[in-house]
Amino acid sequence: MKNWWKIVSVFILVYVFLAGMLAPLKPGITQVEPRRVNTAETVTLKIIGYNSNFTKAKNDLRAWLKSDDNQAVMAKNIIIKNDNELQVVFQMPATLSLTDPISIGAVKDLTLILDNPIDGASVLPSAVFLTQTLNAQSENNWQKTPVETLHEKTGFSFPFRNILAETIRNTYFHVSLWLAMVAIFIGSVYYSIRYLRTLDAEADQRAVSLTRVGVCYGILGLITGAIWAKNTWGAYWSWDVKQNMTAISLLIYFAYFVLRNAFEDYEKQARLSAVYNIFAFAALIPLIYVIPRMTDSLHPGSGGNPALGGEDLDNTMRLVFYPAVIGWTLFGLWIAQLAFRAERLQARLRDQEIK
Amino acid sequence: MPASRLEFCLPVARKHTERCANPANFKIRKILILTIDCPSTLIPLPSTNSHKTTNFPGKRVFLPGMNWLKETLLLLRKEIVLEWRMKYALSGILLYVLSTVFIVYTAFVRLEPPVWNTVFWIIALFASVNAVVKSFVQENSTRQLYYYSLANPIAILLSKIIYNAGLLLLLNVLCWIGLGIVAGNPVRDAGQFVLALVLASVGFSITFTFISAIAAKADNSATLMAILSFPVVIPILLTLIKISANALRLLNDTNLDQDVWTLVGIDLLLLGLALVLYPFLWKD
Repeated sequence: MKNWWKIVSVFILVYVFLAGMLAPLKPGITQVEPRRVNTAETVTLKIIGYNSNFTKAKNDLRAWLKSDDNQAVMAKNIIIKNDNELQVVFQMPATLSLTDPISIGAVKDLTLILDNPIDGASVLPSAVFLTQTLNAQSENNWQKTPVETLHEKTGFSFPFRNILAETIRNTYFHVSLWLAMVAIFIGSVYYSIRYLRTLDAEADQRAVSLTRVGVCYGILGLITGAIWAKNTWGAYWSWDVKQNMTAISLLIYFAYFVLRNAFEDYEKQARLSAVYNIFAFAALIPLIYVIPRMTDSLHPGSGGNPALGGEDLDNTMRLVFYPAVIGWTLFGLWIAQLAFRAERLQARLRDQEIK
Repeated sequence: MPASRLEFCLPVARKHTERCANPANFKIRKILILTIDCPSTLIPLPSTNSHKTTNFPGKRVFLPGMNWLKETLLLLRKEIVLEWRMKYALSGILLYVLSTVFIVYTAFVRLEPPVWNTVFWIIALFASVNAVVKSFVQENSTRQLYYYSLANPIAILLSKIIYNAGLLLLLNVLCWIGLGIVAGNPVRDAGQFVLALVLASVGFSITFTFISAIAAKADNSATLMAILSFPVVIPILLTLIKISANALRLLNDTNLDQDVWTLVGIDLLLLGLALVLYPFLWKD
């Protein structure tokens, strides 16, 4: 089995598509109303859940509004409307904090935590904004170390993140395509260096095929990124520094193909494009990895935003994400090999015509 | 001895290359190079026999005995002398800057500092491309062959990069003065701005000189030059705009050092690669 890795790549990608698209998200909270509450009032929050099973959980449902690790209020009463809707009654405390001095008009954001044995715990940060009012008569019912024994949902499911929601699946496409593209471009630079050292035409043909596939991956990465941006940032293209740099790096590779077509002589074409490929790849490194980190950006991994990893990539996601990177890379190499064969055949035809 | 030999022959070589531009004069050129090789006999007109024994063609005449640094300095002198003799190129570029500045002024009339910053770098970028493109493109291939037979390729590239960096610095300063006269000078921190100009000259010079060496091999080199170099130069340009915005007090950059070192890093990376890759580029 010489070509086992091609079969492996197809299997991995089938797995990535199936698991990545079909596995459910963990239950989450999508909506809370009202968002603004005052101290010392009794509020009924309408909570919309996502993928949740409130009717099944029934009496095991618990809810908190948490200010920090030492302060939270537990729900007084929970009314279950249906699987995805709750009405939760909270008695808000009299002050914003047990320790800080009272200042009228000050605002604190509270995190909503829901927990039941079936769905596990779900969290909505900054769910409610609590405003300090004059009425400081009622009891100060902050609980210390209140949120405990949270349940963990079992089974194969991806984490629910508030802005991301279902688009978290794009990690297996956008991010892994991008990493695979970098791997493929490194391969292309390797063959360019080899061409300059050996002047072997096949090395050049391999380099150009790898670059073709790399550019395809780059375009796909840009498109998946734009779709993701539409859902999370609100626009397909928001002139974010990361998007701009990516577009520019694609321009570099388009220039590479223009350069190749500028020469009639094959040997010259191969040599100059190999030189430009190496030079452009070096210019690409600051473009993608240095500049975006120095400026403000919406994209993770720059401007203080966390990069890949942390709590956004849990163990379930790793089970899909790492195979996805390997799968896309192997698949790209396979396609590049096909492109290389076509390239080599064309070169042979050209040689025969000359003879 | 070899160093002085090249020093001696540079003016001679220049005149000879003009005459030898025609490939038909290949034989004459060989003789001329021979002349340069043996300065004791200025015009030896060697017989066919002695020609064969000298074992010349293909051999780099001055390389073995010569320090490449010295070679670079000599070639640098050649560039400057050549520029001085063909003043039209230099004055053309200077005029280009002045007329662009004037057009920009008539278009905008009043330039706010953020616009000033952008416009300044756009003028500087385009003027730089036009200034550098000629370093390889405007020299015909036979003359280049002649240089290569005389000197180390690294010395050739390095001398051109150094020369272009000087030229671009002159250009950028002129651009600053021109724009300052017609549209006012919003620069608050002159030292930082000069630093940006110096870094710009070096960065642009390295990138554009190397790319022009690639572009010169094609027929429509001016278009190719823009296509190939603009995407590559953008990281340098963006960092420069940031540094100069800081000099104009448009933003308060707390880690200026980091920007400067990033730029120096990019420059060194590109310079190193250019020097490594150039020997593969020039041989045809």
